[in-house]
Amino acid sequence: MAAIYSLYIINKSGGLIFYKDYGSAGRMDTNDSLRVASLWHSMHAISQQLSPTVGCLGIELLEADTFDLHCFQSLTGGYLNPFIYLFIYKHTRYWFFLPSTGTKLFVVCEPGTQHMEGLLKVIYELYTDYVLKNPFYEMEMPIRCELFDINLSQAIQKDRVALLGR
Amino acid sequence: MAPVAPRSGDAIFASVEHVNAELFTLTYGAIVRQLLTDLEEVEEVNKQLDQMGYNIGVRLIDEFLAKSNVSRCVDFKETADAIAKIGFKMFLGVGASVTNWDADGTCCSIVLDDNPLVDFVELPDTCQGLYYCNILSGVVRGALEMVSMKTEVTWVRDMLRGDDAFELQVKLLKQVPEEYPYKDDE
Amino acid sequence: MIGVGKIKQYANVLETPLSKGKQEVSLSAFAFLFSELVQYNQTQVDNIAELERRLEDAGYSVGARILELLCHRDKGNRRETRLLGILSFVHSTVWKVLFGKVADSLEKGTEHEDEYMISEKELLVNRFISIPKDMGTFNCGAFVAGIVRGVLDSAGFPAVVTAHFVPMEGQQRPRTTILIKFAEEVLRREARLG
Repeated sequence: MAAIYSLYIINKSGGLIFYKDYGSAGRMDTNDSLRVASLWHSMHAISQQLSPTVGCLGIELLEADTFDLHCFQSLTGGYLNPFIYLFIYKHTRYWFFLPSTGTKLFVVCEPGTQHMEGLLKVIYELYTDYVLKNPFYEMEMPIRCELFDINLSQAIQKDRVALLGR
Repeated sequence: MAPVAPRSGDAIFASVEHVNAELFTLTYGAIVRQLLTDLEEVEEVNKQLDQMGYNIGVRLIDEFLAKSNVSRCVDFKETADAIAKIGFKMFLGVGASVTNWDADGTCCSIVLDDNPLVDFVELPDTCQGLYYCNILSGVVRGALEMVSMKTEVTWVRDMLRGDDAFELQVKLLKQVPEEYPYKDDE
Repeated sequence: MIGVGKIKQYANVLETPLSKGKQEVSLSAFAFLFSELVQYNQTQVDNIAELERRLEDAGYSVGARILELLCHRDKGNRRETRLLGILSFVHSTVWKVLFGKVADSLEKGTEHEDEYMISEKELLVNRFISIPKDMGTFNCGAFVAGIVRGVLDSAGFPAVVTAHFVPMEGQQRPRTTILIKFAEEVLRREARLG
């Protein structure tokens, strides 16, 4: 049983810089994952532009006939605000984490999966350690860092064990 | 998700891994010496140190956000406070205070309580024009730029140059809203 | 008075009391600085061998200074004069001050009389660094090799010092070995001293 299907990291221009599958469900080929990444990026941007009032930080809840789209974020917006979003699309959930520096993280997981905020925060910290402190990583470019992969797998494994344990 | 109160710089510094400040100080010294050899002109070294700081700033801001839980800086004033009270403490273990605000709140000074970069350092006659700690001004500028604040950061007092404190002036030039690759009709 | 720093001012650096070496900064601050040191040096070289040499040079100047500092502060202005003494000084004292722990091991090379190895499962400077595939066996530990060479050379033990990844059985990540090859004169002197 896999709680987490896949993980995306999107740079501030909407380019997919990291993608990883964790289960058989929701698996995508490279083209599809790139497309999904840029779609979510654009949708979030458009939702801000559509707002008649200033200071809109993007989608919170969107209801459609075949899916609900939720997002939540820490209460107030601002310049230094990491947002966490939750989208529910049919049987899959998309969790977003949006540090205000423009990088976006999102995890696709099984409905009902709990504590995704916590996991996303852990992943964000791994990103600040094993990606941003690596002199061979170029900003905004695809992430190819062995240590990030190793530590990420461990974090997700741990999360999975914790889930099964409940 | 309920908002989480920002953590204090002391609490963060206490919870992270540390290294001996001397390793940090001597490594920084090695960088400055390399630049002096490579670039020769002190003015160029000042620029390069600032650039290197900037490069660090744009990377380091994510860790600041991840670890500090700083969730809302309404204005430049709060931002300056967050840098001084949380930023300097969590990375360098030193406190700093914000002073000398101008009337419209776009320019202030950050005064450091201590400065681990300058242990063992004295500027030789050939390097009198050197802003030895220019990497720090670059870090502040780079980090702020990533959260949409364009700033100019300069040293107004520098103990290596005989002043009585280390004082950074941070001047807000422009606050740009979150950027997306497309523009509205302009 | 507002805005006056809390740091005490001295007329010159020689009057400043020597720090006890107990101050700390965050590992992150060091990691970002080290990463930038590597990035800057990458812009100054055409090949990996040059990058290694430049990192080693940067380390050398740290090593020369740390020797001076430690001999003065911790050893009452005395320094080691014998080969094993200086090696264990590097492996324990220097390592402890710089990296917060004694190095994992100090061994004598099995094939060559003049070779010694200091090994570390995870070198502090490499903590967050993944070497891209196209850089082959490059190891940022070259900086640490430079520190070791700086200490040894300044103490009168000239040596060639290099850093290598060594795969470990049952471990996902290789360890780093700092290989020290002493100059002939050092071994001759050592033999004379008996």
